[in-house]
Amino acid sequence: MARYDLQGSLDLLVLKTLSQRGKLHGYGIVLHIQRASDELLHVEEGSLYPALHRMEQSRWIASEWALTETGRRAKYYKLTAMGRRQLQETEANFEQLVKGVRTMLRYA
Amino acid sequence: MGMWQRLTNLFRREHVDAEIEEELRAHLEMAAEDAVRAGMSETEARRTARLRFGNPVAMRERTAGADTALALEGIWRDVRHAVWQQRHSPAFTATAVVTLALGIGATTAIFTLIQQVMLRSLPVAHPEQLWRIGDSDQCCYSARYSQGDWNFFSWEAYKLFRAHTPAFQDLAAFQLGEGNAELGVRRAGSPAPAEARNGEYVSGNFFRTFGLSAWRGRLLTDADDQEGAPPVAVMRFHTWQEKYGSDPSVVGATFQINGHAFTMIGVAPPGFFGAKVDADNMPDFWLPLTAEPLIAGGATRLKDPRSGWLNLIGRVRPGTATRALEAQIQTELHQWLASHVPDMSPQEKPLWEKQTVHLTPGGAGVSPMREDYKGGLLLLLVCAVCVLLVACANIANLLLARGLKDRPQTAIRAALGASRARLVRKAMAESLTLSLFGAVAGIAVAYAGTRLILHLAFGPNTWVPVDAAPSIPVLLFALGISMMTGIVFGMAPAWMTSHAEPIEALRGANRSVGGHRGVFGTAGAQKTLVIVQVTISLVLLSAAAMLGQSLRNRAHQDFGFDPDGRYLVSIDPKLSNYTQEQLVLLFREIEGRLRAIPGVRMAGSALHAPLTGVWTHDILTEGQPEPGPNDDLNSGWNRVTPGFFETLGDRIVMGRAITDDDNANTRPVAVVNETFARKFFSNQNPIGKHFGPAPRKNAGTYEIVGVAADMNFSGSSLPVYFVPEAQTTHFDQANLESREVWSHALYTIVIQATGNHPDMQAQIKKAVADVDPNLLMYDVQSYSDVIHGGFSQEKMIAGLTWLFGAVGLMLAAVGLYGVTAYGVEQRTSEIGVRMALGANRANVIRMVLRAAFWQVGIGVALGIPAAIGAGWAIASQLFGVQPWNPVVLGLATLLLVLTALAAAAIPARRAAAVDPMRALRAE
Repeated sequence: MARYDLQGSLDLLVLKTLSQRGKLHGYGIVLHIQRASDELLHVEEGSLYPALHRMEQSRWIASEWALTETGRRAKYYKLTAMGRRQLQETEANFEQLVKGVRTMLRYA
Repeated sequence: MGMWQRLTNLFRREHVDAEIEEELRAHLEMAAEDAVRAGMSETEARRTARLRFGNPVAMRERTAGADTALALEGIWRDVRHAVWQQRHSPAFTATAVVTLALGIGATTAIFTLIQQVMLRSLPVAHPEQLWRIGDSDQCCYSARYSQGDWNFFSWEAYKLFRAHTPAFQDLAAFQLGEGNAELGVRRAGSPAPAEARNGEYVSGNFFRTFGLSAWRGRLLTDADDQEGAPPVAVMRFHTWQEKYGSDPSVVGATFQINGHAFTMIGVAPPGFFGAKVDADNMPDFWLPLTAEPLIAGGATRLKDPRSGWLNLIGRVRPGTATRALEAQIQTELHQWLASHVPDMSPQEKPLWEKQTVHLTPGGAGVSPMREDYKGGLLLLLVCAVCVLLVACANIANLLLARGLKDRPQTAIRAALGASRARLVRKAMAESLTLSLFGAVAGIAVAYAGTRLILHLAFGPNTWVPVDAAPSIPVLLFALGISMMTGIVFGMAPAWMTSHAEPIEALRGANRSVGGHRGVFGTAGAQKTLVIVQVTISLVLLSAAAMLGQSLRNRAHQDFGFDPDGRYLVSIDPKLSNYTQEQLVLLFREIEGRLRAIPGVRMAGSALHAPLTGVWTHDILTEGQPEPGPNDDLNSGWNRVTPGFFETLGDRIVMGRAITDDDNANTRPVAVVNETFARKFFSNQNPIGKHFGPAPRKNAGTYEIVGVAADMNFSGSSLPVYFVPEAQTTHFDQANLESREVWSHALYTIVIQATGNHPDMQAQIKKAVADVDPNLLMYDVQSYSDVIHGGFSQEKMIAGLTWLFGAVGLMLAAVGLYGVTAYGVEQRTSEIGVRMALGANRANVIRMVLRAAFWQVGIGVALGIPAAIGAGWAIASQLFGVQPWNPVVLGLATLLLVLTALAAAAIPARRAAAVDPMRALRAE
C-alpha cells in the first residue's frame, strides 16, 4: 500500500510543474498550477514557500537568483536528479492513491 | 543548498531572513503587476495581493522554519536571549539557581555516600565472583560453638572449608573487624619510638583470591602463611604514601613489629584497603595468619577451635550453583562441629545440629560501616529527596509566576505571527539554561556536602574508604528531575497563552488574569505547590526537632557518673611487651605520677572505662541449677586497679571496692554491678557468692566482695563484673587463658580533677610519658569530649536534618511569598476598588493573609499526620522521644506558621499601601 499525505500532493504539483517548465520562480509556479489545473487548484503562498525551502533542503530542487522578463530579481527553482526520482516515486504513489480511492468509492 | 552553506547559514540568520524577504517581496510585486495589467488600480492590486498572501511575518517564520538547520539556530538564539534575560533579572535567577543547587546538591551528596558506603564493590578483579561465608556485617569475635547463624570462623574450620570445597577457586580468611591487631611498629635501625599501626591477619591466598598484584615488591603467598616461615608483612598503599613518604626502600626492609623482626615484602596496589569497609581500624599492614601467635603471645587465638575470629570470602568457580554450595558448606560446618561435641558446654550441646550458615555475595566485602550508617543515611536520603521536591515545587512556582507575568508579551508575539512551537521553545530555552546553572552550582554543593558529612561523621583526621566525588548517575537523576520541572512548568504558561486567541490574551493582558483560566489553571497549581511545600517542610522540621531532642537526651542521659572534671587517657601497654608483674607496677607508678599533678584528686585504670564499650561472655554461678540452652548468661567483664571506682565517683552499694590487698597472694575476688546482682542473684545477697566464666568447672573462680552502682559502659545497662589488675587466674580453656593474659594490659586511665586547669591534658600526657617514654599513648580527652565524640553519627544526622528542615522552610517561605505577592499584584485594581468603597488597610491585610493562610492551613493539616507517620518511621533512631510528640510537633508548626506569616506579611503590607486612585486610574 502506498503512503501518501496532503503535503505530498503539494510537493507533487511543484515537482511536476518544474519538470514541465524547467526553471521557474515561486509566483510562476502558483500561476502554472492554477492554469494547468483549469483554475481548479489554488496554491496557498503560505504553504508554497515553506514547501519550496523544505524541498531545497532535501535537494530535490535547486535555486538561483535571476532576472525575470520584466527585469525583476527573483529566485528561480529547478529540478535536480534526486528531484526527478522523487517525482517518479511520488507520481506512482499518487496513482495508487487515486486508484485506491476510486475503487473504494465505486464499491460503496 | 549544500551542507557548508547550511552551516554558514547558522551564523548568517540575518542574511537568510533578508533573502526570504526579498523572495516574498518579488512574489508580491509580480502578483500586483499582473493585477494592474488585468485592470485593477495599483493600490487595490497591492492590497489584494497582500490579503491573499496573509501575514508576511508568520510566513517568513514558517519558511525559515522549514530549514532544520535554521531551527537549530533559533534555539541558539533563544538560549542567548534566555541568558540575557537571566542576567537582567538577577533576583529571580539567583533564587532559582540557589534553590536548584540546594536540591540537586543535597540529594547527590547523600546518595553519593549511600552508594559509596552501601553499594560499592571492592576495588578488586571480578567482584561478582566473590562470595562470603556468613551474612552479617556485625562484628564481633565469638567464642561459642553455638553462633546460631555463623559468621566468624576458627582457623581450623577455615582450613577444613578450604580443603574440602573445590567449588571455591580460592577461599581467603581475614581477621574480623573489632579487635584488630594493634601493632607498635618501628623500622629497624630507626631511633624513633614505635608508632601505633593497625594490622590485619590474612590467609596466604588473600591477595590471590582478590586477583591483586603488588604495587611494589610482592604480596603474601601460601608459603608465607606456614608455621615456621620467616615473618613477613605487606603494607597498604595509603600507609606507604602517608606514613612512609612513598619511600621505595621500605620494600625488603626489616621492621620491628611489637618487638619482632618482620620483612616488609611489598606494597599492595593503590585503592585496595582490604576486604573490610569501616570508619576506623583500617589495616596499615597485612600479616599472615600464622604470624598471629608471634604477636599475640599467650593470647593467641590461632589454634583455638572455639575462637571464631576470621571472616571468609572466596572466589567461586564460574558456573557454580551457589545454593548447592551453601548446602555443602552447611554440611561441612556440621561435620566440623560434630568433631567438637566433647568440647561443647552443656548449653551448646543440644544446639550444634541447629547451626546454620549462609552464603552471600562478597563483592562489597564485609562492612561494619554499612551496618552502622545504614539507618542514618537512608533517613538523610529521604530528607534530601524532600528538599529536592520542595526545591522543584519552588522552581515550578517561580516559572509559573514569571510565565504569567510574560503573558501579555507572549500574546503580542503570538498576535504578530510567532509560531506556537517557537513560543514554547523560547520558554523551554529559559528553563533549560536555568536548570543548567542550577546543576553546575549543584555539583559544587554536592562535593562540598559530601566532604562536610564525612568531616562531621569521622572528624578531620580519619581516613575512610569513601570518595567524595559526586556520583554521576545520581547527579544526572537529580538534574533530570529539576529539568523536567523546569520544562513542564516553564512551558505550561507559554503553551496555554499561545493556545488562547491572541486577541483575548491581549485584551486581558493588563487586567487581573485571575479569570476563568486562572482559578483552575496556573493559580491553582501555584497554591497546590505551596501546600505541598508546607506539608513537606513541616515533616522535615518535626523530624529534625525529634532527632535534636533525641540527641540531647542521649548526651544528657544518666551515665552513672559525672563527666565533669574527668579525663580519659587511652594507651596500649601490650605493644611494649611488659610482663604481668611489670604491668601492676607500671599502673601503680603512672597513677602515682598523675595524682601528683596539682588539681588531680584521683586516678584509676581499667581495661574498659565507661562509654568505651566492654567485652562480654557467658558466666555461671556456683550452687545454682544448670541453666537451659536458651538462658541468657551474658555479662560484661572488666579489669581495674583499686582507684577506679573512687575516681569515677561510683558508689559501692554493698560490701567493699577492690583494694591493694586483692593481689597475687589473696583469693580471686570480683566486684559486680547492680544489674549483675539483679540478673544472677535476683533477691539474694550476692556478697560471698562465687561465679566464673563458662564452662561449669570455673563457676567457683571469683568470690563477690562488693556491689557497685551501675555505670554505662556501652550504651545500655549491662551486667558487668570487675576483677583486680593484680590478680591472675589460670584456665584450662585456651580462649579463657588467652583473654586472661591480654586483659592485664589495661587500655584506659581515668582521672578526676577539681578546678579549672586549661593545661591539664598536656600535664597528663607528660606525666604518663615520664614513666615510660615508649608507652604507646593514643589520646588524652576530657570525658565530655568522649561523650560528644560517641554521638558523632547522631549529631551529624540531627544536624543535617535541621539543615534540610531549615532549607525546606526557607524554600516554602519563598514559595508562599511569591504566590502571595503575585496575587496582590494581580488584584491591585480590585484592592483599589475595595478601598475606594470603604475597606480600610486592616481589611485589606486580613484579606491577603487569609488567602495565604488557607494554603498554610491545608499544608499543616496534611503535614501533622505525615509528621506523626515520619516519627514512627524513625522511631528506631530516637532515644527517649515518643514518635507522637505534641510538644515537638507544636513547636515545629509554630515555627512554620511564624515563617509563613513573615513571608505573607510583606506582600500584604504592599497591598495595604495601594493608593486607590492610582490603582483605578491604571485600570
